Amino acid sequence: MSVPPNKKLTPAQIRRYALCYGLSLVSVAAAFGLARMFSYFHLPQPFTSFAMSAIAITFWYGGAAPGILAAVLSIFIRTYLFQEDVNLLGVVGYNIAFIVFAILMIGVRRRRSDLEVKVAQRTAELTRANQDLSLEIAERKRAEEKLRQSEAYLAEAQKLTHTGSWVWEVAGKRALHLSGEWYRVYGFDPSDGLAAWEKRLKRIHPDDRTRRQQTIDKAITEKSEYEVEYRILLPDGAVRHIHSVGHPVLDASGDLAQFLGSSTDITERKQAEEALRQAQADLARISRITTMGELTASLAHEVNQPIGAAVTDANTCLRWLNREHPDLEEARQAASRVVKDATRAAEVISRTRMLFKKGAPQSELVDMNEVIREMLALMIGDMSRRSIAVRLELAEDLPQITGDRVQLQQVLMNLMVNGIDAMKGSDGTRELAVKSQRAEKGQVLVSISDTGVGLPAGQADRIFNAFFTTKPNGTGMGLRISRSIIEAHGGRLWATDNSPRGACFHLTLPIRADSHE
Amino acid sequence: MATEAKIKLVAIVDDDELMRGALQGLLKAVGLPAQAFASAEDFLKSGLQRETACLIADIRMPGMSGLELQAKLNSERCSIPTIFITAHGDAKMRMQALRAGATEFLTKPFDDEVLLENVRAALES
Repeated sequence: MSVPPNKKLTPAQIRRYALCYGLSLVSVAAAFGLARMFSYFHLPQPFTSFAMSAIAITFWYGGAAPGILAAVLSIFIRTYLFQEDVNLLGVVGYNIAFIVFAILMIGVRRRRSDLEVKVAQRTAELTRANQDLSLEIAERKRAEEKLRQSEAYLAEAQKLTHTGSWVWEVAGKRALHLSGEWYRVYGFDPSDGLAAWEKRLKRIHPDDRTRRQQTIDKAITEKSEYEVEYRILLPDGAVRHIHSVGHPVLDASGDLAQFLGSSTDITERKQAEEALRQAQADLARISRITTMGELTASLAHEVNQPIGAAVTDANTCLRWLNREHPDLEEARQAASRVVKDATRAAEVISRTRMLFKKGAPQSELVDMNEVIREMLALMIGDMSRRSIAVRLELAEDLPQITGDRVQLQQVLMNLMVNGIDAMKGSDGTRELAVKSQRAEKGQVLVSISDTGVGLPAGQADRIFNAFFTTKPNGTGMGLRISRSIIEAHGGRLWATDNSPRGACFHLTLPIRADSHE
Repeated sequence: MATEAKIKLVAIVDDDELMRGALQGLLKAVGLPAQAFASAEDFLKSGLQRETACLIADIRMPGMSGLELQAKLNSERCSIPTIFITAHGDAKMRMQALRAGATEFLTKPFDDEVLLENVRAALES
């Protein structure tokens, strides 16, 4: 119980000192009192035993210093207050006994202190361990909560995007994981357990099974990623479009063990795409009719011209025949002119009718030079009246492309009408140049250039936006539709400035159809 | 008069080959001398204006139009009785042509009798 010097005692310490030393005094006083009582009744005088007990108690509970004080007090009492029956040797003996006892008790007390320290240490360790454990438990709970939350977020995201995730084992051909959304998309009940392989295969649309399987088999052979679109057939007869992406998982030895990936329900997107395609087709048809409306005047002229000539030639023929001496040779010549006139009128009509045709896009072999010539034939009259010269540079060995003839006619007509309109107010040379050539990467390149007002500065690509127009009565759809038609054919349509003035439109179309499937 | 001694020529100016052929054939059938030109410019270059008693011209042609040709001839004090034929003429165009001195304004397909009457009238004037 050493007190470090120059350190103020706290009230608790003062109380403890008072208690310890008080215990020392009280216990020795009690021993003295009891001994006195015993001697009063002439009982054997047991002060030594009582004092020993007092010393022991004080040492045990009060500590070393109060214990020593108790021992000193006992020696004092023994020496000066209980002398009657003991000689000097006895007094010395008793005192030595007290001293020895006190020394023994110091040892005992020290042991007790050591023990207390150890107990305190162990208790502290245990407390710490306990705290660590509860911290760890709390941490784990937090982590679990976080995991649960992130799983909930993931499930929600899967639900929102209609995307199910999965893992399947390549060797065993069985699913290892199928997410909740996967079950919803495929129309299986998750409470039935992991859906069996065969059941899953059966759900795939019979027409798509082989193609899907081939894609997956190829990915297995190559240990590569795969991406495949197919339809599934639900028990209620509904058809869903699925977009599936798989990623190979290799084991430690580099062998293919699993595929993990996702399956997305893209039915809505597919329907929207189909609706968009339909709307675009309708719009294209309307725009075709609008374009035709713009050309009506020109066409009327185009048709009237040969009909007028035919009427005159037929009348002339009659005149030769009605003579007193019919001139058959002249009549024959007039009649053959009628044939020529009527043939041309029929040609104009049939070209026009082709442009009004409705229907799904057709895939056929198309000679772009032929399409260019056909469209030019329809417009050449209009152009010559507007004093527009035409320059044709068509490659003779131009390969055929696969596409929809009517749609391609429409694009060319659009581009030519644009070129003609652009030259409406321009002085100087008015020339529409149409060029076809074989381009690199198995493509056909067609360019249509004019010497008109040119592209709006800095907006060369905006002209392809819907509703962008520079014409007072333009719909702003012509170039938009033309571009989507060309892109649907796997080609490209773009515009550049023509030198020295005007605009030039270029379009490419792939020669082989399979490159744009 | 000196002009009466000359052969009275009918000039045809039309950019459409079929129409030119038809008109030429018709005039040949009725025995009138005709000469066809593919454009107003060709006709002016030919130097046959003074010998032409009647002009049959299309209105819309590349380069100089029929009406422009008429105005040009008028300005050169070489007015020729002119019959216009067009594939699509409107009332306004018709008025404009007649006011400028056209003899007739016909729309294709036209009645050959009407045309020939006008041609004959022009030749006799």
